[in-house]
Amino acid sequence: MRRAAAWLAMGMAGLALAACSGAQDSLNPAGDQAAHTQDVWRLMLIVCGAMYVLVMAFLGWALWRARRALDGPPLEDAVKSSADAPMRNALVGWTALIILGLGVLAVGSFLVDRSLARADTKDALHIKITGNQWWWQVEYQDPDPSRQFTTANELHLPANRPAILELAAQDVIHSFWIPNLAGKEDLIPGRTNWLTLNPRRIGVYRGQCAEFCGLQHAQMALDATVEDPQAFEAWRQAQLKPAPPPSNDAQVRGQGVFINGACGSCHEIAGSDAHGRTGPDLTHLASRRKLAAGALPVGRDGLIAWLHDPQAIKPGNHMPLVHMSDQDLNDLVAYLQSLS
Amino acid sequence: MSSPCRRLERLAAAALAAALLAGCQRETRDFHGPPPPSGPQASGVSPSDLAAGGGPIGPPHDPRAAIYEDNAFHIGEGKRYYDWYNCYGCHAAGGGDIGPPLMDDQWIYGGSIEQIHASIVEGRPNGMPSFRNKIPDDQVWEIAAYIRSMGGNVAKDAAPSRGDELQSSLAKTQVKPTPAKPAAPTDQPR
Amino acid sequence: MDRRVWPAGRTASAFALVVLALAACSRNAPPPGPAKPPAATPTGAVAPAAASPDDDGQWTMPAKDYANTRYSGLDQINTGNVKGLQVAFTVSTETLKGQESAVLAVGDTLYFVTPYPNNLYAIDLEKPGGAVKWKYQPKPDAAAQGEACCQPINRGPVYSNGVIYYNTIDAWTHAVDAKTGQLKWKVKVGDFHKGETTNMAPIVVKDHVIVGNSGAEFGVRGWIAALNAGDGSLAWRAYSTGPDKDVLIDPAVFKPFYPQYKGTDLGVSHWRGEQWKIGGGTVWGWISYDPELDLIFHGTSNPAPWNHEARPGDNNWTEGIFARDPETGKAHWFYQYSPHGLWDHSSVNENIILDLPWQGRTRHVVVHPERNGYIYVIDRTSGELLAADPFMKVTASLGVDMKTGKLIDNPEKRPTEGKVVREVCPNSPGAKDWNPSAFSKQTGLLYVPHNNLCMDWETKPVSYLAGTPYIGVNPRFYPADPGKGGEFMAWDPVARKKVWTIDEKWPVWSGAVATAGGLVFYGNLEGWFKAVDARTGQVLWQFKTASGIVGQPTTWRGPDGRQYVSVLSGIGGWAGAMVSSQLDPRDATAAKGFGNMSADLKKESAIGGMLYVFALPKA
Repeated sequence: MRRAAAWLAMGMAGLALAACSGAQDSLNPAGDQAAHTQDVWRLMLIVCGAMYVLVMAFLGWALWRARRALDGPPLEDAVKSSADAPMRNALVGWTALIILGLGVLAVGSFLVDRSLARADTKDALHIKITGNQWWWQVEYQDPDPSRQFTTANELHLPANRPAILELAAQDVIHSFWIPNLAGKEDLIPGRTNWLTLNPRRIGVYRGQCAEFCGLQHAQMALDATVEDPQAFEAWRQAQLKPAPPPSNDAQVRGQGVFINGACGSCHEIAGSDAHGRTGPDLTHLASRRKLAAGALPVGRDGLIAWLHDPQAIKPGNHMPLVHMSDQDLNDLVAYLQSLS
Repeated sequence: MSSPCRRLERLAAAALAAALLAGCQRETRDFHGPPPPSGPQASGVSPSDLAAGGGPIGPPHDPRAAIYEDNAFHIGEGKRYYDWYNCYGCHAAGGGDIGPPLMDDQWIYGGSIEQIHASIVEGRPNGMPSFRNKIPDDQVWEIAAYIRSMGGNVAKDAAPSRGDELQSSLAKTQVKPTPAKPAAPTDQPR
Repeated sequence: MDRRVWPAGRTASAFALVVLALAACSRNAPPPGPAKPPAATPTGAVAPAAASPDDDGQWTMPAKDYANTRYSGLDQINTGNVKGLQVAFTVSTETLKGQESAVLAVGDTLYFVTPYPNNLYAIDLEKPGGAVKWKYQPKPDAAAQGEACCQPINRGPVYSNGVIYYNTIDAWTHAVDAKTGQLKWKVKVGDFHKGETTNMAPIVVKDHVIVGNSGAEFGVRGWIAALNAGDGSLAWRAYSTGPDKDVLIDPAVFKPFYPQYKGTDLGVSHWRGEQWKIGGGTVWGWISYDPELDLIFHGTSNPAPWNHEARPGDNNWTEGIFARDPETGKAHWFYQYSPHGLWDHSSVNENIILDLPWQGRTRHVVVHPERNGYIYVIDRTSGELLAADPFMKVTASLGVDMKTGKLIDNPEKRPTEGKVVREVCPNSPGAKDWNPSAFSKQTGLLYVPHNNLCMDWETKPVSYLAGTPYIGVNPRFYPADPGKGGEFMAWDPVARKKVWTIDEKWPVWSGAVATAGGLVFYGNLEGWFKAVDARTGQVLWQFKTASGIVGQPTTWRGPDGRQYVSVLSGIGGWAGAMVSSQLDPRDATAAKGFGNMSADLKKESAIGGMLYVFALPKA
């Protein structure tokens, strides 16, 4: 029975650990900042682990010694006995070890802090990220305004090129966290925070709001794609273009639904007459992986589910239920799917 | 301490706890909004309360009015949408600009929530655009409820307090309520 | 009909004349001296005679002449007798919004335009008591009232060759027979459904009626257009944003002084995405014309929206001044007062054409009191900036770099979404709004009615919903100095300093007029109409009209040979909307920020609409 429980516990631990090697994992660094954090984490593990082992060993020894002492002379005498000089030395050594350990930790974290602060920012991409209830607005900045563009709930980063993130919030405090790339940084209304990323390893990672921000805090995710510079440049060029014009009747009708209905009041589709700014930019929606800040996959099923009743999927979010006919819904989805 | 005194103390603590727990009763947040009533009530709201052949008849009553007007969540959402749909562009934070003020007691096209809702949906001839189809109906009601709060015409416990934005006007909880009434006669369209 | 053969000699002389005329058009050659040099003034500043001919006692365009001097050569009413000035007659405008129109005097008739419904009145001066000769009613669409940022006002008509031209709020231009009041033609110049309105006073240059649009607060794309005076057909239209072919920038002709305006399609590349399509830069202000250079000068308004984070870049060609050929519309030069304008500082104020003694020689310039707080002196032949001097407390910027011509924004005041920036001076109506200055050919001074206001400013995200305001800011205004929201000043354009000032409690929203009688006239928001000694600034006479004055005073000789002064009284416009739109001052952001300071104004002024005409008692 006891053995079975032990196996079960081990199995659970194994399962939990298996989840660690994923797209949202601070122990699986894909960038310098996360690697630094992992370094300091490892250093702490080693130092604290060693200390822990020592404390435990000492405790065991003390217990063993105490049991033996019960048979010997009274404790007062033992303290006075010359046989306890090693004990005093051990205590002195132990204190020295604590100081040394803390020193190592202090120096280690100081060095990591320094390297985080001194992150390479040469030729950095500048990206402004604004937290909203409950989605992320992502604006790629550039000194040349005609090379700027806006997207939502996704971040594309070229590998081995620094990115400086300007973090702001529209409504309440949010926190930006892509564990594979860096630690958390808060987004605070009325204030600008900065975070530098040095992504190294190609892959798709998941980020999440890490500060409780209301009803749909749990469904406020974003995708971070680290890709090779050519792929990034291709993506950027595509994003800079206005949305493709509708190419068949259904899409034309769908665009009509979008612009003449409520959609355009809140969403922007560059190249069309929809210039809303309070909801996510949808210019290249179909090129994204996820919908509604990670709640659903982009695709016909996801779009239909979302448009059919956004309040059933993310209750309390600010995307209203807009009543429309099945025909309109189908056309609208056809149009949205054409926004590649 | 004497024992009766201690008992009294316990009693007081229990009463306090009960009172606090009663406070936990949370207002329901209905994210879908109440369903529109069936029948002719949903349309034909007149901006006037004058009826030929006798009256006043007053505007048609919509059962959703109270649901929106007495609900802090709906009014709070209305405050948000008031900004999002550019209402403030013409009416500022209720003091008015291109459009008339909304925080005073002068109503050109009627000040009941049904009439405000109708003004938003239909538009009005002297420059108020129609927002038909541009704002989902549920949100129009929420905006109308918020507009009612500007003049202190909703329950105090449902009215939004001061916002985070530049503090340009009174918290809606502090506005003195004024009865909604049709406009005083003016010869000028405002 | 007798056919004559052109003698060779005559052909040659005609050719020589053409060459001479062409030489006059060349921008680089200094313009030839006017036939009759204007009289010298104490400051040395003169208005060239070609753009500002001698007075004929009439007032045919709101700015008086092409140079925009608003100076009358009449001197019957002068510093000695102005004390006796009294009301000759009054006429009701039958409207109660801001009365910003100039009153024209042509022959024996006065003309003015009311705010919505934009009726055009002709007042018969031959009959006593201001008899209405006719009233032309254009009946603009009532819905257009909701698309006018700052009340559906009108800045006046213009007279040319027997026709009155003017704009209505629903973006139509009307040509009305000045004698009969019959419509000759009307054309739709814009679409008010997306916020495009017209309220500026047109100007007529060589058979072209030049008009521009309003609506930068609605995300309208600004333009200036020339209509053929005969039938209203479009001669050309130049946009303030977008590709060069829309802006009428032809690299062969366009020679800006500063390098930052050179390049291809800057009206696209200095914007993000397609923001330029809803980027403002409307042309709703004053246009001046130099017949010698054959160039018109006009400003462009603020970029849209006010929230600058929605429109990164320099936002060409907003908040600047263009010199254009009136025949083709082609741009000759451009200068940008406020690149990437942050504060709604529309640059549409008057550009007064003057010749100034400048460092030992004469410079041909335009003088422009700009909303951003500086009086600019710009060489009108080249677009070179000569001076930019502050005329009120300025905290929004740190100055103008005279080398590059660029305004240096104050980094401490740079707005960000979600933050309140405080103590921004001047505020968004600026150190001086549209209400025009006057230049006295007698004193050589500029008389500038202006504001003295600062503000707090909170930026917030804004969606573009066609036909609704596109602003994204909560502003809150207050006087820069306690109890002093405005000022009337005399400015020496050569020494570049104030000569005298008159403090006003409220922003001065009326125009000014200067006369050969040594007087300057202006009005204030309380309704006082004042005659001031042009040399000393002493108020010699004042009269309290029934409502606040936001109009443009004019002075003229009546058919009886007497000099009259006329002004519309009727508070409104941006600064007066709190009163005449009956707004609620408990909201500081009412009337885009005036709510914060206008509770008293509602007590001190009253709604009205009346033409006042003053004269000396009959001898």
